[in-house]
Amino acid sequence: MQMDTSKLKELCRKQRIRLRDLLNEAKVSRTAYYSLTRKESVLPKSVCRIARRLGVSPIRFLEDPAKSVERIRELQARTDTICRRHPGIDRDVALRTLMNLELPPIERLRKALIRGRQSHIHR
Amino acid sequence: MADNRIFTAKELSFLRELTRNKVPFMIVGLSAAALQGAPMVTQDVDLWFRNIDHPGIRKALNKLGGTLVEPIALNPPMFAGKNVEYFDIVLTVHGVDSFDKEVKAAVKVPFAGFSVCVLPLERIIASKRFLNREKDRMALPALKTALKTKRANERRPQRH
Repeated sequence: MQMDTSKLKELCRKQRIRLRDLLNEAKVSRTAYYSLTRKESVLPKSVCRIARRLGVSPIRFLEDPAKSVERIRELQARTDTICRRHPGIDRDVALRTLMNLELPPIERLRKALIRGRQSHIHR
Repeated sequence: MADNRIFTAKELSFLRELTRNKVPFMIVGLSAAALQGAPMVTQDVDLWFRNIDHPGIRKALNKLGGTLVEPIALNPPMFAGKNVEYFDIVLTVHGVDSFDKEVKAAVKVPFAGFSVCVLPLERIIASKRFLNREKDRMALPALKTALKTKRANERRPQRH
């Protein structure tokens, strides 16, 4: 996993920010940045070794937290649309329903049973 | 953290066996609502059978090591055995039509390699409204919101 400086510069162009300003705002020194660009892999060596042993790209077992945030933001936007169309409905229930609908049915049922059994224990 | 022991392959096998043995049944109640996305909590999975004497039920129970406990006095029939303990037997659902009518409009929910009939959210709401017990009144607002959300989600243009 190497840094693709052309992709980074393209992103800077799109977001109208100079590379120098980006590094300043992200609190990354120029030395650290140029060191990253020269690295064979920006991932820890142990992660690369695990991936090499499995014969897969590290992407296959790495989670991108930004994607989870993006997913939640999208669900929140959809919840807003539904709440505008149906004023008075419970926003949390609408959001939880949308989250559940993304799960396979068996997982939805498991969640309901786990919470049901837990609340029974704590009663 | 999710408890992986809840509703495992054994419970799924029971539903699969009922389907394989062509037992007319559907999931009703809050577990049916949860399967359709409603964020509900429940302790059991209610199975509405057209006929509890269907031989396929005993076949499925035999395969999973469960037993049918016959009704006695005010006690309704029940399943016994750890692989079937999550399931409750329902013979009548109040506030909706007959089993034969409702099963025609049931939602088919896919599991691993088979599907099960589930009472639609609209009909669960109708039943809860009819029963009107305290626990039904408490569940109704969330069920109605889930239904509106589900409908709005279905109308949304799908991304390909």
